[in-house]
Amino acid sequence: MKFQTLITICCAAVLAINVDAQNKSKAKAKQKKRRGRAVLTIPEVAKKDIICFALWTVHDKTLKLTAQLYPTSDGDTKVVRLEIMKGGKWVEVAKTTVIEPGWTAPFRVKNWDDSKAHKYRVRHGELAKYEGTIQKNPVHKDQIVIAGFTGNSIHPGHGGDISRQDIIDNIKRVDADVLFFSGDQVYDHFKHLAGWLKFGRDFGEIIKDRPTLCLPDDHDAGQPNLWGESGKVSTLRGASDGGYSRPGVYVQEVERAQTSHFPDPVDPHTIGQGIGVWFTRMTWGNVDFAILEDRKFKTGPAGRVPKQGPRPDHIRNPEYDPASVDVDGAILLGKRQLKFLDSWAQDWRNTDMKIALSATIFCGGAHIHGNANGRLHADMDSNGWPQSGRNRAIAALRKGFAMHYAGDQHLATIFHHGIDEHRDGIWSFCVPSIANLYLRWWEPLKPGKNREPGAPAYTGDHLDGFDNKVSNYAAANPEKQPAGNLLNTRSAGFGIVRMNTKTRKITMECWPRNVDITNPATKQYKGWPRTISQFDNYNPPSWGKLGKLTFNVEDPVVQLVDAKSKEILYTVRANGKSFTPGAPKGKAFIVKAGKDAPNKVISRNAKVGSKAQKVTLN
Amino acid sequence: MSRNDSNSSPNRELKHENLAMLCLRLGAFLCFVGWTWVHFYWEGPYGILLWQESTYELAERFGISWDEFVGTGVNDGLVQAWISRVAWLYLACTILTLTVRKNSSMQMIALVGGSGLLIVLSYAKYVGAQRQLPMFVEHGGQMLMPIILVLALRYGIRHRVPTGVAMLAVIATFVGHGSYALGFWPTPANFFGMTTVILGFEYEAAKTFLWVAGVLDFLICVGLFVPALRRPCALYAVVWGLLTAIARPVAGMSWSLIYFGADQFLHEAVLRAPHFLIPIYLYVIWRRPPDEVSETSDDSIELLPLPQLYEIPLAPFD
Repeated sequence: MKFQTLITICCAAVLAINVDAQNKSKAKAKQKKRRGRAVLTIPEVAKKDIICFALWTVHDKTLKLTAQLYPTSDGDTKVVRLEIMKGGKWVEVAKTTVIEPGWTAPFRVKNWDDSKAHKYRVRHGELAKYEGTIQKNPVHKDQIVIAGFTGNSIHPGHGGDISRQDIIDNIKRVDADVLFFSGDQVYDHFKHLAGWLKFGRDFGEIIKDRPTLCLPDDHDAGQPNLWGESGKVSTLRGASDGGYSRPGVYVQEVERAQTSHFPDPVDPHTIGQGIGVWFTRMTWGNVDFAILEDRKFKTGPAGRVPKQGPRPDHIRNPEYDPASVDVDGAILLGKRQLKFLDSWAQDWRNTDMKIALSATIFCGGAHIHGNANGRLHADMDSNGWPQSGRNRAIAALRKGFAMHYAGDQHLATIFHHGIDEHRDGIWSFCVPSIANLYLRWWEPLKPGKNREPGAPAYTGDHLDGFDNKVSNYAAANPEKQPAGNLLNTRSAGFGIVRMNTKTRKITMECWPRNVDITNPATKQYKGWPRTISQFDNYNPPSWGKLGKLTFNVEDPVVQLVDAKSKEILYTVRANGKSFTPGAPKGKAFIVKAGKDAPNKVISRNAKVGSKAQKVTLN
Repeated sequence: MSRNDSNSSPNRELKHENLAMLCLRLGAFLCFVGWTWVHFYWEGPYGILLWQESTYELAERFGISWDEFVGTGVNDGLVQAWISRVAWLYLACTILTLTVRKNSSMQMIALVGGSGLLIVLSYAKYVGAQRQLPMFVEHGGQMLMPIILVLALRYGIRHRVPTGVAMLAVIATFVGHGSYALGFWPTPANFFGMTTVILGFEYEAAKTFLWVAGVLDFLICVGLFVPALRRPCALYAVVWGLLTAIARPVAGMSWSLIYFGADQFLHEAVLRAPHFLIPIYLYVIWRRPPDEVSETSDDSIELLPLPQLYEIPLAPFD
């Protein structure tokens, strides 16, 4: 009897605690609802406002424009029209049918005259109109301004509910030529359409008048991390087994909304579950953009690499052997994208400078993860893994002296990457989050080597958690103590990259939120701005210089080919009439040059220290 | 003992009761084994509860500094240290499921505490799932498993209290699953993933399949209260509970993975053992005694009013 009483009391206590916990959690949940998570819904709009926003790109005389509609009623027409202003009149240039699910209306217009700006309007029925401007190709401008964003949390818990008006105002002030959203435009894993429409309401005002590249990342696709494995189905919580967690049709809808306005994919074969590909290029203002999918083909780590931490994708053990996780068969960009990059790096038509865009950077760019102590030795969600794939990607990009612009890390950084030695690869700029859902810190345990005078200890040459060679130049670490719910204590903001096609300088800027970036008193995050030369993207410290080449034409394209292996070392457009190629010591090179393509051999045995040469090109 | 004696009704009853008890013991054992593995090999899901500024504020009241709480960056702080220590509690509960006996009060109390651990864990998963109620509810089978074992030991395997709690456990699990499958809350992505990988269904077919499964989840919960239907319902729950438990390793394991992916997926099936072992327990104890079978035809089964449903005779040793 005594025992029964005891058990009854215990059960009652457990139930009471549970009920109490439930009640408290209910109260907390209510409170959280107010200050933690946003409720995402699709608002009802009048028929005249049914078109939410429109995104466009122009490449190779082809306009691609996607209008995003709110859900229409059953009886409404599904036809959407595109008109442009010609001679003071609206002229219909294309017509399309809205695609469900997703309510996207993609247009494609060939033979687009990009030498002048065109006012456009998208129409649905007789009432709905949405107007914007297709800019002229800014080939006349010396500087192309690319605004970069990532991580668009809308949750009040970290300032996601704060208006984006500051961003809109700043982008208008600098009159950005291209907008680049690197990923996580939508954090809701089940309601992409609602999230995308909100994104459109927030940013449509600047998107409608500028080429915009939105790269759908993991959260857009409805999962916390993404190792796409060519469209495999993921069944493991956390998705580290590789593949997509959400059904293929959901992913297709996401990609249709965010990427159907991209220039046509260079290799359009679909992957598993009928998911398309969108990696491609866009040339705008003589800057050549490689738009990469660094998640879609990447191998999932679970079961592929020996366990090194509390999650299949996390390495906690600092004593582990980095080579043990660089397993055979692990893919990063995959053959198709590497093949594309190989040809992209060699093609300099209408191009002075190159830049690669992808979701995230090619290294483990943070040490501490989360809002407390989450020191990870390495995170396989980063593009530091697999190391061989990372090296192949950097090797492909440096052949075209391409800078890398990305996001996803929730932490703004500048890295100069290395493969065989520190600083022998490309530079990368990872932009801060619009509103930072998840905090990260770049905080190596040892001070970096070869730091600039007065630079913080975390800068300089390091090995990341995968033993990749990286040199840090800046990190916008958030406050270390509980960072609160403000935007800037959580290192929120956005990036600006200025590509100067005249001087070939690249300037990286990293701005906090809610400031006027044109005000001289406004400060950027510590470590910014930084200006590098285009040619710093492949200038290993161990290299020497070949003899100076002087040409009879401005800005010729120069290519170096290893005389022995016949492998292309790099291709680049020189700045002006002279160029002094850098090259590894002790090797002979075939040097080719041409006005727009390197089709003339000008030297068959060029070596470091060889004589200067005058070159005549037709 | 003659053959007839061994097949006599009391012996058979005893066998069934032993089988029912074995189900409960095994269910609790496997549930704790699975979670012990998670805690030792991976990590318990408590980060969402502990890595919060409000939790730090609580710690601060006890004089714990930020560095002690979250670690210096080089060493683990209290949060990670204590998360890893919870594994030992789970291991202790695993052992208790084997050693606990009718008269070992302390062990029983400790096992009830094990249910408490599972409640905390399920609550953490619920918070981690953005406070989706079905996430907590579907863990009902696991949370209640040790309590059912203790109640069965204490009151007897056929007593209305363990039986009632077992019904509650099954209902919680199936209502939780069903709510997700029917889309009352967003259907977890791996529901579709597993259906597609195992059955080869396209999205539309997978959606229909899950919808049907969701409806059945709710129907069997109702069926458990109808004497004529409760055994078939329990049997369905056994089959579906088993299939959904083993779906994780079946869909995820592969010859090409290290340990065939067993360390990633196998425990997902093991810790879900209560999902099919509790229904087996109900199926066994709801077996009608042979005397009753011979005396009552199917047509004349009397539907008892609900309050009387649990008035099941106590087991002989009670």
